[in-house]
Formats: sequence, structure tokens, C-alpha cells
Amino acid sequence: MHPDDLDRLVDRELRQLPTPRAPQTLLPRVLAAVEHLTRRPWYARAWFTWPLGWQVMSLIALATIVVGGAALVPAARVAASDATSTLVSRVIGEVATTVHRLDATMSVGRVLWRALLEPLAAYALALVVLMGLACAVFGTALNRVAFGRT
Amino acid sequence: MTDADAFEAFVRRYQDMVFATAVRLLGRQADAEDVAQTVFLRAFERFDTLGQSPAVAGWLKTVTTNACLNHLSRYRARWRFFSELDRADRSDSEPRFEASLASTSSPARDLEQADERRQLEQALRRLPDHQRVPLVLFHFDNISYQAIADLLGVSLGKVKTDIHRGREALRQYLTINHAP
Repeated sequence: MHPDDLDRLVDRELRQLPTPRAPQTLLPRVLAAVEHLTRRPWYARAWFTWPLGWQVMSLIALATIVVGGAALVPAARVAASDATSTLVSRVIGEVATTVHRLDATMSVGRVLWRALLEPLAAYALALVVLMGLACAVFGTALNRVAFGRT
Repeated sequence: MTDADAFEAFVRRYQDMVFATAVRLLGRQADAEDVAQTVFLRAFERFDTLGQSPAVAGWLKTVTTNACLNHLSRYRARWRFFSELDRADRSDSEPRFEASLASTSSPARDLEQADERRQLEQALRRLPDHQRVPLVLFHFDNISYQAIADLLGVSLGKVKTDIHRGREALRQYLTINHAP
């Protein structure tokens, strides 16, 4: 079949189709949704359905916010710049103080280690090793004598 | 007549048109009902100006068409898998035994024609979205190929190809009446 003939045939047949009827559930469903919609307060609905006075008020409020914001931008920029510079200088000071304190603490630690702990470290290590060996010997003896294991 | 009564009469008057447009574009009754409800809610919000307008039918048709196209683009990825499974189950290549029976009496012929039209309608709804939507827009809404391409955001060639394939798919439901 030539495409034009098919086009005409399909067109004729489709146009002869009866219009599908809406299901009987559609009308009650729409009315219920409308009722639900009307129960909502006016400010929860679409803006263009608001009362005229509130539409005007909202436009004025929006314009005030925009104009006020635009007017406050230079002052806000200066304030933000001041706040930023103050904050940066404060943070830098805090970091320097912390580094200085950390350095002092490490120096004290080094002095204490050299004066008090370093001379005793070898003895302490030897003591730990000896105690470990003693525990091993005691455990082996206990195994053999008390439990008879080889 | 109160506003509620007027709106109810409005819905009664246009519900078939809105539903028919939606169900032919979407191919699924449940989705068509959802879209029809959305369209009537929008109409309700503008009912003061829309209710008496002579262009209300055109407005409803346009809003329904746009809502259907939005619905299809929004849910296409989610439903493609299931809808294609569904279509595979309902293969439309079933032999049409009833149509092969010759009928002579007029009431029988009327019944047969009604059945054929029902099957054509069902076949139309079973077409894939990319074939059904341009086909419906072209044949039912009289929208040109170029306008359909613009509306769907696809090329003119794709629209022509999809419509042609859609017609070919429907052809088997037409040849019974028109076979030589």
C-alpha cells in the first residue's frame, strides 16, 4: 500500500473511532480534589488565586526586599570585609600562640627525658626482659610439675 | 447556580474530551485519569475567567496535551521497562478469528464494526509512546509534522518515521474492512 493511501486510510479510520468516555469515577474524584483544594487556606494556594489585596501586599513586600537588599549591598560589603579581616588576623594570632606553646612544651619534655628518664631507660628495659624470662621459666616449670605436660 | 454546581456542570461537559485526549496520548487509563484531574484542578483555579470563555475547549485541549507530554517525559524512564513487558504479554499479533467470519445481516455487521473499532482503539493505546504520541497529535489534533517535531523536541524525519511505523502497526486492524 502506498504511504499516502495508508495515511488516508488510517486517518479515516481513526476519526471514526468513538470518543472514549471518561470513567464514572472521574467526576467524583475531581470534585473531591476541588473540595480539598478549597479547604486549604488562601496562602497555600496558587499566587494568582490570592485575594487582590494580598497579591498587592506581596508584590510590595517583594519589591521592598529587593530594593532594600540592593540599597544595603555596599554597607554589607564593607561590614563583611571588616569582619573577614578581623577574623583572619585573630586566627593568625591564635595559630602563632599555639605553635609557641607547643614548642615550649616539647622543650620541657626533652629536658625531662635527658635528665631523669634516659639514664634509667637501660635498667628498666633489662628489668622487663628479666621479668619476661622469669615468667616463661615459671610457666614451663608449672606445666611440667603441676600438669605433667612435656 | 452556585460556583460548585457550575463547576460540576463544566466537568461533566468536558470530561470526555479531556479524558479521551489524555488516554490516547498516554495509552493508560489510570494515568489519563490522573492527568484529567490535574487539568480540571487548573481549570478550577481559573474558573472565574475560564468558565464562560468560548476558547475553553481549546484551552483544555492544549493544557491536557502539555500535561500528558510532561507526564510522559517525567515517567518515561520509570515505566518503560514495565510497559514494554506488559506489551510483550499482550502481543497484538493474535489472529482475529471473529473478523474472518463473514456476516451478512446489518446488526451483526454493526457489532463487528464496533468490535473492530474497539480493537483499533486498543491497538492505538498499545503502540509505543514514541509512535502513539505523534500519531495522535497528527490525526486527532491536526497538528502538522513540523509542529509535532517542535513540540516533542525531535527531528522532522523522526516524527515522519515514527508516524509511518505507527500506521503500519495499525494496518492489520484496518485491512479486514478494506482488503481487496
